[in-house]
Amino acid sequence: METINKPLKRRSRYNSSEARVAYICLIPAFLGLFFLTYAPLVGVLGISLTNWTGLKSPEFIGFDNYVQLFTKDPYIKDSIIATIYFAFLSVIGSMVYSFFIAMLLNRKIPARGFLRAVFYVPFVLPAAAIYVGWSWLYEANFGFFNFLLSKVGLNKVLFIADSSYVVPSLSLISVWLSGNLIVIFLAGLQNVPSVYHEAAEVDGAGGWKRFIHITLPSMSPIIFYNLLMSLIANLQVVTPALALTNGGPGNSSRFLTYLMYDQAFVNYKLGYACATTFVIFAILAVFTALLFKTSNRWIYNEGGDDK
Amino acid sequence: MNTGKKIGAGLLSAALVLGVVGCGNNEDKETNTTSKGTDTTTNSPDTSSSTTEKVKITYSMWGSAEEGSVTQKVADKFNASQDKIEVEVVSIPWESYMTKLNTQATGGQLPDTGMLKEDGVIQWSSEGMLNDVSAMYEGSDSKPLDSLAYKYQGKTVAYAAANEILLLYYNKDMFDKAGVAYPPSVLDKAWTWDEFVAAAKKLTNDKNGKHPGDDGFDANGIVQYGASVENLPWQLETWTLSNGGGFYSADGTDVRVGEDASIEAIQKVADLYLKDHVAPLSVGQTDDGIQRTIIAGTVAMATNGAWNVGTSLNTAKDEGLKYGVAVLPYMKDKVTLNTGGANVVFSQTKHPKEAMEWLKWYNSEENNWGLISSGIWMPTLQKWYTDEALTHKWVDNPNFPPYEEYKSAVVDYAQSSAARPASWFFTNYTTDFNTLLGSVLGDVWTGKTTAKDAITKNLDALKAAHTGNK
Repeated sequence: METINKPLKRRSRYNSSEARVAYICLIPAFLGLFFLTYAPLVGVLGISLTNWTGLKSPEFIGFDNYVQLFTKDPYIKDSIIATIYFAFLSVIGSMVYSFFIAMLLNRKIPARGFLRAVFYVPFVLPAAAIYVGWSWLYEANFGFFNFLLSKVGLNKVLFIADSSYVVPSLSLISVWLSGNLIVIFLAGLQNVPSVYHEAAEVDGAGGWKRFIHITLPSMSPIIFYNLLMSLIANLQVVTPALALTNGGPGNSSRFLTYLMYDQAFVNYKLGYACATTFVIFAILAVFTALLFKTSNRWIYNEGGDDK
Repeated sequence: MNTGKKIGAGLLSAALVLGVVGCGNNEDKETNTTSKGTDTTTNSPDTSSSTTEKVKITYSMWGSAEEGSVTQKVADKFNASQDKIEVEVVSIPWESYMTKLNTQATGGQLPDTGMLKEDGVIQWSSEGMLNDVSAMYEGSDSKPLDSLAYKYQGKTVAYAAANEILLLYYNKDMFDKAGVAYPPSVLDKAWTWDEFVAAAKKLTNDKNGKHPGDDGFDANGIVQYGASVENLPWQLETWTLSNGGGFYSADGTDVRVGEDASIEAIQKVADLYLKDHVAPLSVGQTDDGIQRTIIAGTVAMATNGAWNVGTSLNTAKDEGLKYGVAVLPYMKDKVTLNTGGANVVFSQTKHPKEAMEWLKWYNSEENNWGLISSGIWMPTLQKWYTDEALTHKWVDNPNFPPYEEYKSAVVDYAQSSAARPASWFFTNYTTDFNTLLGSVLGDVWTGKTTAKDAITKNLDALKAAHTGNK
């Protein structure tokens, strides 16, 4: 009896002590998460209910900031539209672009390693340098793109100086910057089982059919991950507005995060800025939830549906 | 074994907490207290002679640690010159300056005195954070120019640390080549707006050498523009004032930007690009007007602040640019704006008198000579403008355009009736207002809408912005 029981007992002891160690080891992470993420989040919610400017001690004003934001704020409507418009263009653009490039780079082409680096480089360049470079390309009077247009006898395009072109122009930069997505897609593509392709080829399926019926379904979890990350990143867009446009012309690139930055660190309306933060948070939450809700309809899991 | 692991985990979490605390400490270190190194050298001889305890005050400034230590050296001179006050300089990087001060204000830990951004002075006054400094220059031989006093409810709450005015810069080579007379540096001969546009047309060339108005002129193929008027909102106020309008009433209480004269002035600036075809498009997205125009060598005339002489034109001059300075053209009244970041005494200080004494001493031009002689700052005290010997000392150096030209276009201009304080000297919420105005005008510069439509449609929002949306 004892000989049978002993290992069992030992295992359970081992388990409980392992669990304890796991909990203890989780404490730092939990503390970090609590004090650096959740506590500030609650703090932001609290501050958003005050009129804090940083100078005087804050007064509790209930939901006034939110009411003002949605009834009187001259920017918020344009800002939400600009943000969603930008995120839509950038997410779709960068997903299609990076998937396409990843497919190309996954083929046996010459100088493949070099090309992979070339497409990844924009992602690791310092943002300030990138935007200075693009500002020269986009400049309305003497910029490089306009130089090319005038060489072929076309009229000037104002790019980031024109309220209708600024968001597409900035999205193009963000598409160009999506080297990180390419890398993840590439990794995914290399995991698509080649037996499927070979089998389909035997059955006479062409390249396009194989792409639709094999590559895309096999890649769907990766596509979902990239879509989610790209959506969250692009909805929080701020750098192009800070570096290139100052939110203009008009409000056409006054993205929500830029608006919040302006309220908090230019106008020092910290309570108000915190309210805007929560609006951003809500928008992010809605889009993320939508994505997750629809995900099980189109994600193909190799291990079957084990929800 | 278990206890060992527990200790390990405990240490880990302790390290994490310490890490957080450590971050807080580091942030404090960002503000560089620069006195420590120099204290010992300058004060050790002092302490023996003075038995009474010196009043210690701190002065905060924006700038790098190096700039801070330069200022501390100046402060050390002051510390050594008397035995009542000991000044310690704290430098904070420009990007985080106002944020840092805000934090300090919340904690009741502001320095005694320091610099403050233009548009923050009236706001801080209205929140009771600044002292009245009217008494600072009582009994002095020279006061700062009147237009350099920040006023809140009739009281002087700060003097500008430096003076700046708006000017017209021009490229002499381009004028010589086109055979056009230089813009006048004398106020009495200032160009009217129409004369300015006419000259700009002669200086605008398309790739076939044609000017706007010529047959076959190609507005899409312009290779050199005649003029660029800076359209950052705060500088636009100049033109509304010049046309008999303005952003606000003289006391800053009412919004006047909706008046016809103001709207017309703004439209005229936009029309330089849209109708006259003499200006490059600028939609106010960046604050580098002179670099984009005069220094890039693409525009013959451009308006901007006097600081450009020191911040960028000096270098361009060394590289062969021949530029001149002139007074601004005018619509109905001759107007230029002057401005300058403020030196304030915070109301949290326990030593307001000592703080004022230091500021008064420090604000004398000798102590900021590097900035003044390079052309970045202009002096604030009246005597530098009125006493020709002092003016010579200031302007007669190779960093400046020819003496007569600068003297008349800048020194005389700055003390003329044309020089008016920018609105943040007496109006609150100028940042709110200017940001909104800039956004409202975004489509005016490209001609998608008119100044009239844009401003009329948003006038209520602009008025609300002027009261801080309260």
